[in-house]
Amino acid sequence: MSIELKLEHPADNTVTVSIQGDIDMSSSTKVRDTLTPLFQDNNKAIIVDLSGVSYIDSSGIATLVEGLQWSHSNQSKFRLASMTPGVKDVFEIARLLTVFEVFDTKEEALAP
Amino acid sequence: MSQPIKLSIPSHPKYLGLIRKVLQELLDTHEVPEETARRLILCVDEACSNVIKHSYEGPCEEPIEATFFFDGEDFKVQIRDYGKQCDSSEIKPRCLDTIKPGGLGTHFINEIMDEVSYCTERAKGTLLTMVKKLKCELTSGQEKDKE
Repeated sequence: MSIELKLEHPADNTVTVSIQGDIDMSSSTKVRDTLTPLFQDNNKAIIVDLSGVSYIDSSGIATLVEGLQWSHSNQSKFRLASMTPGVKDVFEIARLLTVFEVFDTKEEALAP
Repeated sequence: MSQPIKLSIPSHPKYLGLIRKVLQELLDTHEVPEETARRLILCVDEACSNVIKHSYEGPCEEPIEATFFFDGEDFKVQIRDYGKQCDSSEIKPRCLDTIKPGGLGTHFINEIMDEVSYCTERAKGTLLTMVKKLKCELTSGQEKDKE
């Protein structure tokens, strides 16, 4: 199953990453390869739009935890938006739902 | 017990989507509620990913055999591989207090399934058996349907 990632820059030093497809062991490398360069740029906020993701496994969660760690060490924002019920459930079982900044919509996640 | 459903995939991550789809169809056929089905699919996916990573130590073309059984109110899954064996007592979920990437697959399996056992008493590989008691899930799903 293929996965598509779309980057947008709605404001200075802010990037949104919209993901479409399942994030599993076969696709999480592509997600990581897209996110990692963003950690090295001068970004102050990365918003990951998960509205197109109906399935995520532990390798996908691990990739997003790397984003969380980047945000903590750089005083930046790494926010997740528009989780589908399936994805939200996996975060809940991992006890990470309250650890990430999670927003119902991408627009809300873009607010300062 | 109804006839088991058997599926064998090569140990490459590109086939994980296939096993998820087949299992989704099977669980739909047995009217397993959506949330329970999602969680069972996650466990099977994580188990197969662990086989690829730890038993076969990377993507390859070795077999992963999945067998699904509906036995009364129990759903049982067996995942068989022929790769490297490890001490099953060492397969434990990690502590979740530390936020770090990785190591969640075993936590998902242990959290969601009611019984989990690893058998390495064979010449090669491991047989993982996972059981989920569906009675509560099926009842709550049927009640939701009535509403």
